[in-house]
This record gives sequence, C-alpha cells and structure tokens, in this order.
Amino acid sequence: MSRINKNVILALLTLTSSAFLLFQLYYYKHYLSAKNGAGLSKSKGSRIGFDGTQWRTVKKFIMLTSSQNVPVFLIDPLILELINKNFEQVKNASHGSASECKYFCVPRDFTAFALQYHLWKNEESWFRIAENMGFQCLKFESKDPRLDGIDSLSGTEIPLHYICTLASHAVHLVVFHERSGNYLWHGHLRLKGHIDRKFVPFRKLQFGRYPGAFDRPELQQVTIDGLEVLIPKDPMHFLEEIPHSRFIECRYKEARAFFQQYLDDNTVEAMAFRKSAKELMQLAAKTLKKLGVRFWLSSGTCLGWYRQCGIIPYSKDVDLGIFIQDYKSDIISAFQDAGLPLKHKFGKVEDSLELSFQGKDDVKLDIFFFYEETDYMWNGGTQAKTGKKFKYLFPKFTLCWTEFVDMKVRVPCETIEYIEANYGKTWKVPVRTWDWKRSPHNVQPNGVWPISEWDEVIQLY
Amino acid sequence: MDDWKPSPLIKPFGARKKRSWYLTWKYKLTNQRALRRFCQTGAVLFLLVTVIVNIKLILDTRRAISEANEDPEPEKDYDEALGRVESPRRRGSGPRRVLDVEVYSSRSKVYVAVDGTTVLEDEAREQGRGIHVIVLNQATGHVMAKRVFDTYSPHEDEAMVLFLNMVAPGRVLICTVKDEGSFHLKDTAKALLRSLGSQAGPALGWRDTWAFVGRKGGPVLGEKHSKSPALSSWGDPVLLKTDVPLSSAEEAECHWADTELNRRRHRFCSKVEGYGSVCSCKDPTPIEFSPDPLPDNKVFNVPVAVIAGNRPNYLYRMLRSLLSAQGVSPQMITVFIDGYYEEPMDVVALFGLRGIQHTPISIKNARVSQHYKASLTATFNLFPEAKFAVVLEEDLDIAVDFFSFLSQSIHLLEEDDSLYCISAWNDQGYEHTAEDPALLYRVETMPGLGWVLRKSLYKEELEPKWPTPEKLWDWDMWMRMPEQRRGRECIIPDISRSYHFGIVGLNMNGYFHEAYFKKHKFNTVPGVQLRNVDSLKKEAYEVEVHRLLSEAEVLDHSKNPCEDSFLPDTEGHTYVAFIRMEKDDDFTTWTQLAKCLHIWDLDVRGNHRGLWRLFRKRNHFLVVGVPASPYSMKKPPSITPIFLEPPPKEEGAPGAAEQT
Repeated sequence: MSRINKNVILALLTLTSSAFLLFQLYYYKHYLSAKNGAGLSKSKGSRIGFDGTQWRTVKKFIMLTSSQNVPVFLIDPLILELINKNFEQVKNASHGSASECKYFCVPRDFTAFALQYHLWKNEESWFRIAENMGFQCLKFESKDPRLDGIDSLSGTEIPLHYICTLASHAVHLVVFHERSGNYLWHGHLRLKGHIDRKFVPFRKLQFGRYPGAFDRPELQQVTIDGLEVLIPKDPMHFLEEIPHSRFIECRYKEARAFFQQYLDDNTVEAMAFRKSAKELMQLAAKTLKKLGVRFWLSSGTCLGWYRQCGIIPYSKDVDLGIFIQDYKSDIISAFQDAGLPLKHKFGKVEDSLELSFQGKDDVKLDIFFFYEETDYMWNGGTQAKTGKKFKYLFPKFTLCWTEFVDMKVRVPCETIEYIEANYGKTWKVPVRTWDWKRSPHNVQPNGVWPISEWDEVIQLY
Repeated sequence: MDDWKPSPLIKPFGARKKRSWYLTWKYKLTNQRALRRFCQTGAVLFLLVTVIVNIKLILDTRRAISEANEDPEPEKDYDEALGRVESPRRRGSGPRRVLDVEVYSSRSKVYVAVDGTTVLEDEAREQGRGIHVIVLNQATGHVMAKRVFDTYSPHEDEAMVLFLNMVAPGRVLICTVKDEGSFHLKDTAKALLRSLGSQAGPALGWRDTWAFVGRKGGPVLGEKHSKSPALSSWGDPVLLKTDVPLSSAEEAECHWADTELNRRRHRFCSKVEGYGSVCSCKDPTPIEFSPDPLPDNKVFNVPVAVIAGNRPNYLYRMLRSLLSAQGVSPQMITVFIDGYYEEPMDVVALFGLRGIQHTPISIKNARVSQHYKASLTATFNLFPEAKFAVVLEEDLDIAVDFFSFLSQSIHLLEEDDSLYCISAWNDQGYEHTAEDPALLYRVETMPGLGWVLRKSLYKEELEPKWPTPEKLWDWDMWMRMPEQRRGRECIIPDISRSYHFGIVGLNMNGYFHEAYFKKHKFNTVPGVQLRNVDSLKKEAYEVEVHRLLSEAEVLDHSKNPCEDSFLPDTEGHTYVAFIRMEKDDDFTTWTQLAKCLHIWDLDVRGNHRGLWRLFRKRNHFLVVGVPASPYSMKKPPSITPIFLEPPPKEEGAPGAAEQT
C-alpha cells in the first residue's frame, strides 16, 4: 500500500506542478512583454530583411511621429552615408518599390533622428503614446542656454534628447533648438545620478557627447526601405558638419562677474563702436562663408568673447584667424566687393601672411593666417617701417562653434590655452594700452624681411 | 511548495472513479520496474524544476516591487525641494495625522504657525489691516492660499466673500484680524462667516481681535475672540492653539478622468486655492480652449510675451482670455514672472505654457523696467526667427479678435518705417467715445497695454540704450520720450482689443481704475474685418485725414464744448471743432476738454499732428489744435478756436500718471 501511496502522491504532485508551471509560463510571458514591449520579435530578428528589429523599431517610430505630426528627420550618420552614396537611386525610388532592406537593416546600436523643437506641438502626449506603443523612453533635459545670456532669468527646462528603445533597438531623438544667428543647437547628453547607465550603450551615441551647432538644413521627403522619412536635402553637407559641430557656450556667469568688477562701458562712443564692429563682423562672416573659408575669432575679439561675451569697446578692430591651408586667392577681391578695401597686406602665403581691411567708421578688420608646425601653431607680424618680423606662438588647437553677437562663429575649443598664450595669466584684467610688438605673451622676434622682398611683403594702401 | 498539500478529504472522491484504469495502469507498471523508476525520477526532477522556477518568479516579483517602490522617491524629494517653503515640516517619520495650528490676532501683529512653522507673520506698521485668511490643504497641511482683506475699507468684504466661496469644501480655513476688520464687514460677509460655523465672526465689532480655525463646510476647530472695551482701544491679543486632524489624501482630491489636462489640473488644484470652478470636482471649467483658427493668420508665428508680477489671479484671468482668442498659438506664449513667485508659475503650468522667472533687480519702476528688458531680450533669444513680438501684461483681458486685428495690420509695421508700434489699446476709447470696431488711427503716443514690437527696433535702438537699473525710470515713459520715438507713430484701433482690469498695481488703485479704466470700451465681436488698413500708411493717412476734414461739418463754436448739446443729435455724421493750441506742446485747452469729456487727461494721448479723433453720440468727432496743427488751414476764417481756461490752481495734481 505504501508503494501505491507514494506513486499516487508523486503523480498528483507532478500534475499540480505542471499546472503551476503552465500558469507561470503564461504569467512570465505576460510579465516579459509588459516589460520589454513586444518581446516576441526578438526570437525572429536574426534574419536580415524587412523583419529585422532595427527596421521594425524605426518603422514603429516613424509611424508614431507621423501620426502625431512630429516632423522628425533622419540624421543618422551611418544611414545618411549610405543614402548619400546612392542618392540618385534614393531620390527616384517610389513608395514601396524597395526589394531589399538596404539602409535601416544595417546592424547598428542606434538610429538617430532629429527634431526642431519649435515645431513640436504636443510633446507631453507624444511621450505617453510612445510608451503605450511599447517604447521605453529616457528624456534628457536641461536649462535653456538661450536664457543664460540674460541676467537672472530661470525658466522651464527644455528637452535635449530622447532615447527610446523597442525590442533591443534604440532610437535617439536629438532635439534641435533655434538660436540667434540662424542655426540649430543641440545640447549635451549628460547622464545624471539616477539614470540607468546600462539603458543603452551611451558611449556609442553619435550625438550628445558635446553640444552641437548646425546650419538649419533644408529637408526633403524620401522613401527608404519602404519607409517615408525626411532627410536633409544636402546629406553630404550635413555629414561634413557632424565631426566639426561641437559647440561651446559663452561663459555668461563669468562675464557678469567681470562686469561687476569692471563696469561696462556704455558711453555713446563705446556703443557706436560695438555696433560697427558687429556689422563688420557680420559682413566678414558672410563673405568668408560664401567663399567657404573657415575662420575663428582671434586676439582681442576672442578675448572679448571669452572674458565678457561681447566686443571690447576700446579694441578698435576685429581680429579673425584663418588656417593658411584654407587661404584662397580671391579673399581680397571678395572683401573689396563687399565694400571692405584692403588696407595693408604683410607677408606672403608661404610666410607670415596678414591682411587688413578698412571697415566703416574707422573699424579695421585684421585677418591673421595661422601656420601649423608639428607641436605648435603660429601667425606672423610685420613692422612696416623696419621690415621686422614677429612670430606669435600658440599651442595646437581645434575649432568649435559658439554664438557671438547673434552669429554662429568658430573659436578655438581650447580657448583658455589660446588666450593665455596670447595674453598671459592676467588676461582677466583689462589693459587699454597695447603694443602688438611687445605686449603679447607669445611674441618672438622672427628676423627681418630681406629688402628685396619688401615690395611684396609690405603693401600699404 | 508549502501551501500545496494533498487534501485527504478530496482524495477518495477524486480517486474512486478512476480506480479501475489506475489499477490496470499500476499493474502494468509493476511489471516494468525500470519504467516505473524512470517515471518516478522524472516526476522528482519535474518537481525540482517547478521549485526553481517558482523561486525565480518570487525573486523577480520582489525586485520589481522594490524597484517600483524606489522609483517615486527621488521624485518626491524633488517635489519637496521645489519650494513649498511654507509647508510645515513633519515630525519624525511616517504620516502625521494631526497638525497643531497657532493663530494670533492683535492690534499690531498677526501670525499663523502650522506645526511650528510660521506661515504668516505680519507686524508691519500701517499695513496688513483687516482679516487675514489662510487656506490649508486638509490632507497635507500645505498652505494653498494666503489673502488679506482690508474689511475696514469698503468693498473688501465682497472680495472676501468671493474668495471664500471659491474655496473647495473640506479645506482648512484660518482667519485672523489685524488692527480693525469690522468697519465695512457687511451682512453678506457676516452670514458667510456664520455658515462656516463661526460664533464671533458674524458679531465682530470695532477693533475686536479674532482668531478662527475651521474646515470649510465642516466643524469649527477653534475660535477665540476678544471684544474691544472702548472705541479708542483694541481688544486684547488672542492666541488660539488648536489641533487640526488631517484627512486622507483620497478625500481631499477630486477624481477626474485620467487625461493629460486633468493631470495638470490635479497638480494645480492640490497646491493652490481660490481659482473657483477650475478645481471643481463635479464640473470643472475647461483649461484648454480651442478657439477657431484664423484663416491666413499672419501672426501665428509671432511670439507672445506676457509680463507678470505676483498677481496670480490676474494672470489666471488674463491667460484664459488670451488662450480663448481666435488664432492664438500657445506654443508661442512665454510668461515672464518678475520674482521667484510660485503661484504664478503654477498658473502658467496649469495652462501648459512656458514660464520664466526673473530675479528682481532694482526697485519699483526701475524693477519693472529691468524686467521688461530681460523679458524682451529673452523673447527674441527664444524665437530668433521672429521679426516681431507681442507684449502683454498680466492685468489685461484680450479681445476675441486680438490676433485677427494684428494679423490684418501687422504688415504695416513691415512696410512703413514711420511706425513705432501697433497697439491694441486706445487711450481715448471709452464707452462714450469709441464706436467703430473696424476703424484704425495713427497716433503719436505709445499706448502700450497689448502691443507689437518690431525686433529691429528693439535690437538696434532700444536694447542697447535701455535705462540702466540705477535710473529709476518707467520703461513706457522712456519709450515715449522723443529721443526714442523719433517722430514715429503707433497704430491703434478705435475700440480697444485689450481691457485693463487690474486694480492693484504699482501705480494703480481702486479710485484711479474707476476713473480712467473701468469705462473703457472693449471689443467683443469676433472676426471684425478692419476697414481700409493700407490707408494707415504715412502718406495715405494724410489723404484720409484731409478727406475727413473736408467733409466734416464745423460745429457751432459759440456753444460750450463740454455740454452734450455741443454735438447735434445725429448719427453717423463727421464733425470738427477747432481748439486753441499755440505750439506743438501747448495742450492747455485739450486737457480741459479731455477732462470735461471724461477721457484720459493726465497727459496727452491719441494725437496725430494736433488732431484728435473720437466719437461722440455716434458721430465721428474731430478736434484740431489751431494754429499748431497743419490741419489748421481747414478752419473757416470766421471761426475762433475754442479756449478753455485751466483751473486757477492745481490742487494735488496726480503725480506720475501710470498707464500700462
């Protein structure tokens, strides 16, 4: 009898257990799908084709945005690169004609989209709908840098990035904000304390390591892999911008502190100079942009930006830097056409080139050409009377965007090193009398031009 | 696995029927010992698997629960950090169910402390007279509203009744009197206090002190009162200490449908009080308005800056009317709050708008001026593509066709350099002097009160030389100065598209409002088609004025212009009168005329080259200053311009005339 009992108990146990197991399996599946969205697709996603997870996620995301009238556009460098290669084909492809999944099925960790924030009408409800569709989203916010320049304003935080995952693929939505100077800005994706650092491999993100600035792209609608998406009309230009898009904000707080110590000059002359300098800079920026020549704020203009977020009223000129490899022979004529006659030209392309143009109201535009050596950069100076040459040394630097007097312009990213090289550690203290041959910290005598070359290397107008 | 045990009761019932097949099966199996063994081991293994799966499930659920518990915590902290300076601190851990409340009432000082935290303290001299009212959330003890009603003065008791009626049932009400609170406490107010259960409130007498704590619609939680012994003395100070039981959060809240809008409403209503039906549980008033879109809206992308201070009830009223105006685009609206005030920010959040706070700089008028500058700069920073900005203030009602009015006229600002602004406000547009909603004027004065600013004007001219904080200037006075205006004019409508309802303000009081703003005409007709907008351009307007003057009938100048009979009892005619005006800045007669017509007379407004245009008795009425005005040539030679003597001596002339 005991054996029978044992068997019966075992059998009954097994039966109940299987009932339990079945229930648990059912429950577990529910639990999983609630947690990970459509957890089912994972099992089938290995085949590269239209049912790859990436393609499905992107499709869902595009469905979501278009149903909510959110005009997102594709900025993913990897995919834009592919599109750019087959641009003609992509432009001509009609809806649904794609036979294989060429773009959105490429293996990658993220797909990056962007959005102009002022066109986004229903952010809150969008977020909710996204979550209902199974997306898990992280939102990154920060204070609005456009209010930083104004003393004492604090506003609602603005969204900078969204990262939404669905079935193991993530969409990175970069929120672009309009800035003064007709450009788009995106913020730094900063991982704050409570954020799950394993949510996505953040290190592999293409945008957000630094704040960035971009020209406002024109958009066009194309059909890629059967999905209708907006992309920049000139993907090539956009792709070229990405690696050089890093943006640095002016140090408004320090600038305010500066003005507390050294009062701002609000005399009529100072205001008039600032106005003319601003106009001159805008004209120069426009001219150089047309030529496709990179430039940055140098010397006093750079110091003004860094120290006080403005133009130093007693500086009396505008200083720009250009790499000699970007030199174009039509720079002089382009400036002349823009109404800025050449005032003097020192040096030559091979050595110590420096151009100076006469702007309105006695404001001068100085353009210094920078030469690169293995471990430093330099630009040259020439004394017209004596033919003496000078050399100004700078540690190596790269270029970043910033906003200055309502313009998007470049400055050396390593600004403090650049400024300290030029003005020494005491750059914070205003100095009104300045001798370009002696005052700079980094000036070195560099010999004398041979008299035979003077006609070429010292031209005064 | 503990919970599962084969029940000895069930087993026999269940087993009996199946006995026969079970036995056969059993005998079959006994013959195959190996197979049986195998089955047994299988079953044991199976059981093991079940155990493991179960344990995993339990662990998973545990983790999920603990995660869910951890999550809201930082949010809560943040919420707390967000301010609520006045929230009473909880003692120890765990929810406390009782608040101890202290209320003090005396001649020169009142204070209220909740759980040891002072939420009201007023011992300033010559200030804060009357009944102080505090509303607490019955579930959290947070201060939701704080008001003082100077019921020594007339009409303040009406405001108190209005306010107390708006407070939701169940809230904790605290009242305390400072100095005097009974002189103008009328029967309605007393009846209301009686209905709250107060004994002493309805019987409050001259210079009595009184402290009261009660639940709205519920029991009185404490009351103390001290009668003033004589006319010349005050009642003794009273200190009321009482315990207020907190109710559960469930009871304190309404159960609205779970929508985005109601979430905003909920956040708002659990924090502040005194906004009436917006927090009504049964039938809350909407907080989203869907006014008709404007066809061909030219101002859809023009940013709107609302300049606000700490008058949240005004802001609430203002934003309601703004969001109800046809063609409004809420995402273009930014509210700039002068100071770190929370309640205005709550109002802004209720409507889902963008709000920006501004650390106060300087004092009084200069503070307003700096706030304006920061707000305008920020507006153009936030909307760098905008060519214009609409500037509004928190104490304005906005007409339903405000944006339609701007949409029809904004092109003028682009095409006509001689324009300074477009304003929705006609300084001289009173009930009895404005008539035609489709009519626009050009005027040399800048009215403000709802106006459009050109970005180029701001960025190139105004911003660089905006008065610095140490200059204690009014921004609007400064903008009206000839150095800034430089001969440019503003476009205004005959009937204003904004209404100035603010009674409390920097340069504002009840008397002033009643005299100069209350009877102002305000357009309520939607979709008015403006007439002949292009005739407002510089040259065209001169042609228009000349045409008007040519067809105008000259009035009988022997009559008194202040009398109603100065104008015949006609309708739709155009009349002209000539007044004496020796120089461009001689407004002696005009000011007297304005005074007797009961229109704005504190300074000169609404003139265009010595011409004023208004309506009287439904007739267009033109006033020309002779000989300063270039239109003087239209004066028939026989007419002697009217001259009105200013009163002999100026007694207590109002100081700086505030406007805006």
